[in-house]
Amino acid sequence: MAGELASPTPALRGSARRTAALRLLRRRLIQAVPLMLGVVIINFCLIQMAPGSFLELMTAENQVSDPATVALLRKTYGLDDPVWMQLLKYIWALLHFDFGFSYRQNMPVIQAIWIHLPATILLMVSSIALAISIGVAAGVVASMKVRTFWDSLVSIAAMFFYAAPSFWLGIMMIVLFSVKLGWLPVGGMMKIGGNGGVLDILHHLILPTLALGLFYAAIYTRVMRSSMLEVAQLDFVRTARAKGLSRNKVTIHHVLRNALLPVVTILGVQMGTVLAGSVVIESVFSWPGVGSLLFDSVSSRNYPVVLGIMVLGSLVVIAANIAVDLIYMWLDPRIEIR
Amino acid sequence: MTIKVSRRVFSAGILATGVVGTSRGSFAQGTPKRGGTLVATWGGGEPQACYVPAGGGSSPTFSSSKLFERLARRKMDGAFEGVLAESWKPSADFKTYTVKIRKGVKFHDGKDMTVDDVVYSVSEIWKKYAVASALTDFAGIDSPDADTVVFKYSNPTPEFFFASTLCSPVAYILPKHIYAGSDPVTNPANNAPIATGPWKFKEWVRGSHFEYVKNENYWKKDEPYLDRLIIRYVRDPAGRAAAMEAGDIHIGVFNPVAPPDIKRLTGTGKFVATPKGYEEAVWSTTLECNMRNPVFAKREVRQAMFHAVNREFIAKTVYYGYARPGTSPIYSPNKEFFTADTFKTGFDPKKAAALLDAAGFPKKADGKRFTLNLLSAGWFQENGKVGAYVKQALEDVGVGINLTVPDRPSSIKRIYTDYDFDLAISNQANPSEPVPSTTQYFTTDGILKGVPFRNASGYSNPDVDKLVASIKVETDPAKRKALVFEFQKIITQEAPLLPLVELESITLASTKVQNHSNDPNFLAASWGDLWLAS
Repeated sequence: MAGELASPTPALRGSARRTAALRLLRRRLIQAVPLMLGVVIINFCLIQMAPGSFLELMTAENQVSDPATVALLRKTYGLDDPVWMQLLKYIWALLHFDFGFSYRQNMPVIQAIWIHLPATILLMVSSIALAISIGVAAGVVASMKVRTFWDSLVSIAAMFFYAAPSFWLGIMMIVLFSVKLGWLPVGGMMKIGGNGGVLDILHHLILPTLALGLFYAAIYTRVMRSSMLEVAQLDFVRTARAKGLSRNKVTIHHVLRNALLPVVTILGVQMGTVLAGSVVIESVFSWPGVGSLLFDSVSSRNYPVVLGIMVLGSLVVIAANIAVDLIYMWLDPRIEIR
Repeated sequence: MTIKVSRRVFSAGILATGVVGTSRGSFAQGTPKRGGTLVATWGGGEPQACYVPAGGGSSPTFSSSKLFERLARRKMDGAFEGVLAESWKPSADFKTYTVKIRKGVKFHDGKDMTVDDVVYSVSEIWKKYAVASALTDFAGIDSPDADTVVFKYSNPTPEFFFASTLCSPVAYILPKHIYAGSDPVTNPANNAPIATGPWKFKEWVRGSHFEYVKNENYWKKDEPYLDRLIIRYVRDPAGRAAAMEAGDIHIGVFNPVAPPDIKRLTGTGKFVATPKGYEEAVWSTTLECNMRNPVFAKREVRQAMFHAVNREFIAKTVYYGYARPGTSPIYSPNKEFFTADTFKTGFDPKKAAALLDAAGFPKKADGKRFTLNLLSAGWFQENGKVGAYVKQALEDVGVGINLTVPDRPSSIKRIYTDYDFDLAISNQANPSEPVPSTTQYFTTDGILKGVPFRNASGYSNPDVDKLVASIKVETDPAKRKALVFEFQKIITQEAPLLPLVELESITLASTKVQNHSNDPNFLAASWGDLWLAS
């Protein structure tokens, strides 16, 4: 949902910028309503089309053969309603912040997700932070040392981490840093039986963050390098140089800020893929996050939880893209987003 | 028995020869050392609840069996031993069993276990959820005094059958004061159980692990030897191997890692691998003919399906040698009831072709006799490989095959609800007692639409039904054995469903872990006697 950019206009200042930002926020929130509705309807229909149901799996696991019991369960879970009625009921419940009940966890869906959410948010935030830090820094270095050894080194590393599957990278890092060197834990979020202190969690966070973040760092590196080289050719940069500013000052204050725009765009778009990537990484590192819950829920046709995670995931992506639009305005005041 | 195990690595049931050679005859050495924390894992995922009244598959059985206890257990030598029961004795007509309950047993919350708990568990949990199919003749339970309960049956019940029921993996004794008046399926205590076992529930960090601590008031005064037991869930087999190698996990049951990792880890001398401890839960990979397809009306056609398949090849190639050809619906480790004297459907493609010709299905111009839909249940990765081989083998004798490998929920629905298959590759895990766990795949009363791991083939034979009914009530062990032998002969000849291979499951453990694999269903044992060497 990254915004359409209008032709650069004279920079907005002070209260005008705030007003424009609020106008944008309001517009995006209004647009988010039909978008969310679409997400819910499409996901609901996709799940309905999947073969097998959670009720069949539940009766299978509990060896329920009595038709009366099965009928009672169908009624209890609202499965004897027509599909359109089930959808309407689900939307109505969502409007009341009711995501349904997970028979598998024997608790409300929102509670099941809430238990796992902090771990995933931690992993996503740390991975994105790592990816941006490394990606921007490496991209800047490569653009400043273009066609040198450093540029080649950065390009090769970026290519490697872009090509290496995250799960393979994760396993290789476990073998090296956990099994061979014994520096880092193999998996989990904290030492079992430990107090779960900040340092303990950070210790466990290092490998999953690297495994998930380095892929995105590779993308940001390539984008940042290209963007820096492109911006460096523009007139305002030449003017800044002509004014006698140092190379570092021109790079940081003029080139870097403008070159960040494509990275910010990608960041918004990729929030969803980072969440998807965490499913794999959480499996490799036994990270107790939403990704693990989603994997289990799909395998067990635990539709209420799958839908709940999809809805929350969509909310995250929409929120991220609204944030991206606002960051655009902050980075380049000339931009007015329609 | 429900099947619910991710066996992406099942292959471990499985590894090539040489690995078992590294296992030791005994895993107990010296005097037990007290204290320490044992971290365990298994080859599947996290359970839906710590305890599931109806069983719920191997995962909740693994987590709950360390907390709850049964009335009896079976030992490695085949003898039955009382756990919460001190003894049991049948009446002269074998219609009642008098069971003496162990005294001085307390639940984890300090309350005494009484006959009321036993009566409640049997009548409300066993009969309705846990072992319902084994209690069809159950007529009630009384408690004539504070130490005794009497099981009543409407028909004579063989002693072996009765004792096997007491040992059933989820035939637990539950605290009546926690469960009475509630829905046992949704009782919150299922996720933080109060029980009588050697381990007390401490916490469940979802997505990560269970933590159990020593039950200081356990009725076996010496046990448990360890202070703490952690059951850790690692979804990825490679992750499990790394965690074991790094020393984070001491023991993994039920094929925890991939075959090459078993070989590598045992090669370090720090681990042992053993197929022991699965004698009461022997797994097989089966081929099932859907009798609703008129092609299978003649038993020669069904026999031809098995003659066309090289079971030795499947055992060696798909399962890396950790399997053996199946010859009977009763598996070969079953010391009580297995017989090798059955109808043979070994690999013989020429005979398969001749049987199909004789049955009226000659090859047509396109080289095919008929085409079948083969469904390989996707809950184990190896099933897909077996399916690919079976497709080739059957095509070699002129049977066209459309192979599909749906995921677990789809497979359950297509095989057991929709009967949407002609041939199905599935799996079973059976204990020694054949009724009903084995027989229900072949009897008419096993045809229950929508109930998995029953008679999905639709095979119905009044002679077999009558024979199974006799097995169920025959109280003379020798006569009963002879009846089970006869059952095997008929089924192998009728061939509605037969095992292709019997699988060997593997436990991988650090050499520090002592006393493991000493129970014929080790995954479901209490583990109170495990200890860690220095």
